Amino acid sequence: MKSANTRAMVALVIGAVLTLAAFIGTFFWAAVPDYGTVSQPKYSFSARHPEAIDERLAHDYIGNRVGYEVEVVTDEGTVTGTLVAAEPKEGSGDGADAVMLATVATASGEQTIEVTKDDEVTAQIYNYGKPDWGQKIFYFHVPIAEISFIVFAVAAYFSVRFIMTRKREYDTKSRIAMELTMTFVALTMATGILWTKAAWGVWWQWEPRLTTYFIMTLLVVAYFVLRNSVEDEERRALYAAAFSILAFIDAPISFFITRLIPSTHPVIESGGLQPPMLITFIIAQIGMLFVGYAIYRLRMGEMELRDRIERAKTELEG
Amino acid sequence: MASASGRQFRAILRKDIVMELRTKEMLMSMGLYALLTMVVYFVALSQAGSEFDPRTIAAGLLWLAFIFTSLLGLNRSLVHEKDQGCLEALLLSPVDRPVIFFAKVVGNLTFLLIVEALTIPVFAFLFLQGHALESGAFSLVPLVMVAGSIGISGIGTLLATMSVNTSGKDFVLAMLFIPLVYPLLLGAVTATNAAIVGGPDAMMVFWQGMAWVAGYDVVMLLASYGLYEFIVGA
Repeated sequence: MKSANTRAMVALVIGAVLTLAAFIGTFFWAAVPDYGTVSQPKYSFSARHPEAIDERLAHDYIGNRVGYEVEVVTDEGTVTGTLVAAEPKEGSGDGADAVMLATVATASGEQTIEVTKDDEVTAQIYNYGKPDWGQKIFYFHVPIAEISFIVFAVAAYFSVRFIMTRKREYDTKSRIAMELTMTFVALTMATGILWTKAAWGVWWQWEPRLTTYFIMTLLVVAYFVLRNSVEDEERRALYAAAFSILAFIDAPISFFITRLIPSTHPVIESGGLQPPMLITFIIAQIGMLFVGYAIYRLRMGEMELRDRIERAKTELEG
Repeated sequence: MASASGRQFRAILRKDIVMELRTKEMLMSMGLYALLTMVVYFVALSQAGSEFDPRTIAAGLLWLAFIFTSLLGLNRSLVHEKDQGCLEALLLSPVDRPVIFFAKVVGNLTFLLIVEALTIPVFAFLFLQGHALESGAFSLVPLVMVAGSIGISGIGTLLATMSVNTSGKDFVLAMLFIPLVYPLLLGAVTATNAAIVGGPDAMMVFWQGMAWVAGYDVVMLLASYGLYEFIVGA
């Protein structure tokens, strides 16, 4: 009993320290992503809807604009299209006679052009005008959202255990995991809504990830509605267990939907984060995991205390 | 054993149908409810103007009607069982629980399909007259209707069995049912819309929606079948 609470407190402290570390890392270590210039308008509803501007590229900078719409003006003429590749021409030297080989996909097929220092290359870029501070919420929103899926899975797991064994403790565990799901889902929704306003310019959009997550929120609410409307204790536990298993079917759908169908909700691509960003993100993730575990333990301790009081009461009365 | 199960299945189903034929309560209430929904639709669309093409939202309106009618029917079908003590008697008799489940599902499905089959022509008569329909594709709407209704009555029967024992019957059923049935609804509306409106890749979109609905049917029927035994005995 005592050790369980100690463990919870230790977990809470570790979680708090890690979260604080992640907070510091977020603002003093991880770079603010430079959305000063990006190739395409990322989100169709952006508040800072970018204006297309032409960027004159330095000769050795062409390789950094692969994938952009470019216009290459050489002595032989003008070529416009998407830049596919750009590499220095072998043996061309790196002085005044340096030559880049730029491959451009045009309407009539790919074309490789020799670009010298005197040639003019412009890329079409979009100017957001200021650094993307809204991205900072990523270090909290994403870990919280992931934890919400994890605790939902834990709740479903304990529900299965309850149905198999009919032991009351599993019902309590499942219920507490569901309470945690509710907390983390609410936090995810709050941080997410702040971010969509900053990045997309709207508070809400019926977009696959947001929709399925909203449905998940409703399912978690429904779980508690169901619990509160059943009188009989054993029946309540069984119904709640069955419903949480059914409801959990939505979680994987919500989790994977951004990778299955076109969605404006961003996903983390492997290798997409610079080390300071990635490490801060991982610290935040572990910190949240500890906080979640600590809350779970503390609530379990509370339930055990309640049980003891109930038992003491019956003994005194008897 | 198999024939015994089949006999039990038929007996439970016949009981539901005979009771319905005598009282006509479920079909009447569901049918009239669907008709009332049409009146509400008319009011909702009354200010849309003559330029508005109701075909663009017909699929959504149809499934909206189906969902709310099915909520009414599902609740009814289980309230009867409970009030008249029929479910208890069924549980006392040596009948396998899955047999009860499938008999109830098929019974609910039958009534739901009858009401839906009546709703579609009424809806088309009231809202779609004078708008050209994809004649070939519109005949695919009943296919979506059947596939969607299988999922609705499968998951609905399980949830109604739960909600009938709660203090806020109708509300609890709606609260549990609508979020759970959301993926099915999305697929069904997509497929129905493709069939009604048509377009260049209508067939591809239609079959994608159908695949989604079919996948949901399989997953949810299996889950409901697995869980019903524990729910009905509680």
